[in-house]
Amino acid sequence: MWSVVDIVRDNWLLLLIGQYPHGPLGGIAATLILSVFGILLAFPVSVALALARLSPWRVLRWPVTGLVYATRGIPLLMIILWTYFLLPVLTGHTVSGFTTMLCTLVLYEGCYLSEVVRAGIEALPKGQSEAAKSLGHGYYGRMRYIILPQALFNMLPSMLSQFISTIQDTTLGYVINVQELTFAANQVNNQLLTQPFQVFFILAITYFVVCFTLTQATHWLERRVAARRRGIPAAVPVTPAADGLPLPTGEELP
Amino acid sequence: MISFVDVNKWYGDYHALCDINAEVAKGEVVVVCGPSGSGKSTLIRTVNRLEEIKSGKLTVDGADIQGPRAARDLNRMRSRIGFVFQSFNLFPHLSVLENVTLSPMKVRGVKREDARATAMRLLTRVGLANKAGSFPAQLSGGQQQRVAIARALAMEPPAMLFDEPTSALDPEMVGEVLSVMRGLAEDGMTMMCVTHEMGFAREVADRVWFMDAGRILEVADPETFFSSPQHPRSQRFLSDLRAH
Repeated sequence: MWSVVDIVRDNWLLLLIGQYPHGPLGGIAATLILSVFGILLAFPVSVALALARLSPWRVLRWPVTGLVYATRGIPLLMIILWTYFLLPVLTGHTVSGFTTMLCTLVLYEGCYLSEVVRAGIEALPKGQSEAAKSLGHGYYGRMRYIILPQALFNMLPSMLSQFISTIQDTTLGYVINVQELTFAANQVNNQLLTQPFQVFFILAITYFVVCFTLTQATHWLERRVAARRRGIPAAVPVTPAADGLPLPTGEELP
Repeated sequence: MISFVDVNKWYGDYHALCDINAEVAKGEVVVVCGPSGSGKSTLIRTVNRLEEIKSGKLTVDGADIQGPRAARDLNRMRSRIGFVFQSFNLFPHLSVLENVTLSPMKVRGVKREDARATAMRLLTRVGLANKAGSFPAQLSGGQQQRVAIARALAMEPPAMLFDEPTSALDPEMVGEVLSVMRGLAEDGMTMMCVTHEMGFAREVADRVWFMDAGRILEVADPETFFSSPQHPRSQRFLSDLRAH
């Protein structure tokens, strides 16, 4: 047990930031930066993909549907390897592992998130879109002011869960030498040679703490969204109060 | 103001609207009534093209709203026809005031202060000025429907369509919505209302259209319609209504 504490004491900086500033940023810092940028860039991609999948034009709908199906049907590791070997061929430059991993995450998480966005849009009552149409809003206005604000708000918890999976997905960057947390742990393991269980125990605990904290945040957010929905129902048609009486507002009805 | 010429609509094999020829004059209040599934809602929804028609011509204020060239101008045309839904369809993420000001600002380019002033005037008119900062879910059904009417009026439409505006309401809230509609009618608004409120039809309508099976079977002033309906189907409809 004490060996775990010793390993942490001796290697905490490596686990936290990798070899920085003497080498590329690594460790938890790199994992989190990769995840945060991955999800931030994947978000607009996912909205675009979702809108394309819901588009009335086949030219947009079919290829994007194909892309989303293909991506969801292929293991992430496979996509990482493809990007790793394809990206340099396509761009003609050597591309760092970090950039490769980021591109892969944006594509992969973008496709998964687009299904969440699509579901969020389709879950809204049809009357919302009809009301917006009847007031003269065009497609852009309907999406920008009516549909997306409601759909995205309802999806906040799902998006945070997707962020948590993204953090776990970054471990796969290890295979293309991205210097994130797993990579750092493996470096430690290679130095010590004799204590793999302790090292990978630390690694597991670290991921668990980060993800568990975020899962708790998701639950908190879910409750907030649910409470706000009770106040402002978004995914159900608006109905009068169940007891049929106006809410106590102190207002005299005419 | 609103004119239907040989309008036909099918849902697959089902003939939803058959040879509709009718007109709503400027300033007129038309109540469309008839049994469920007779095509009343379909008819009123074709007027702002929430439903497409198969053949015929439908003009609103001189504009051919269902024509092939309307697609480009559709949003502008729709903004000139107020529509009130059975299920209110307020935007739940916006406050009452924002519900009323959003479309004038974003569709017609009205300045924020002007939109707010108009909205407050309209909310006062429907008796809900004190609810401007509330969210739709905090309001009763009747209050929500009155906000929906204010929201439609904010676009200053020359004509208003009502698709069963009181059907989703508890009985004690029907009156407050009907009184707002009565006020509009008195101010000379052109109105087309699908409703089961026969008392409202009798009092407020200039003419009643009776529909069944996708056809307009009888057009009459309310006095004649309710006291001596001509068509056997409308006689049966009215006697069924009186039965309970």
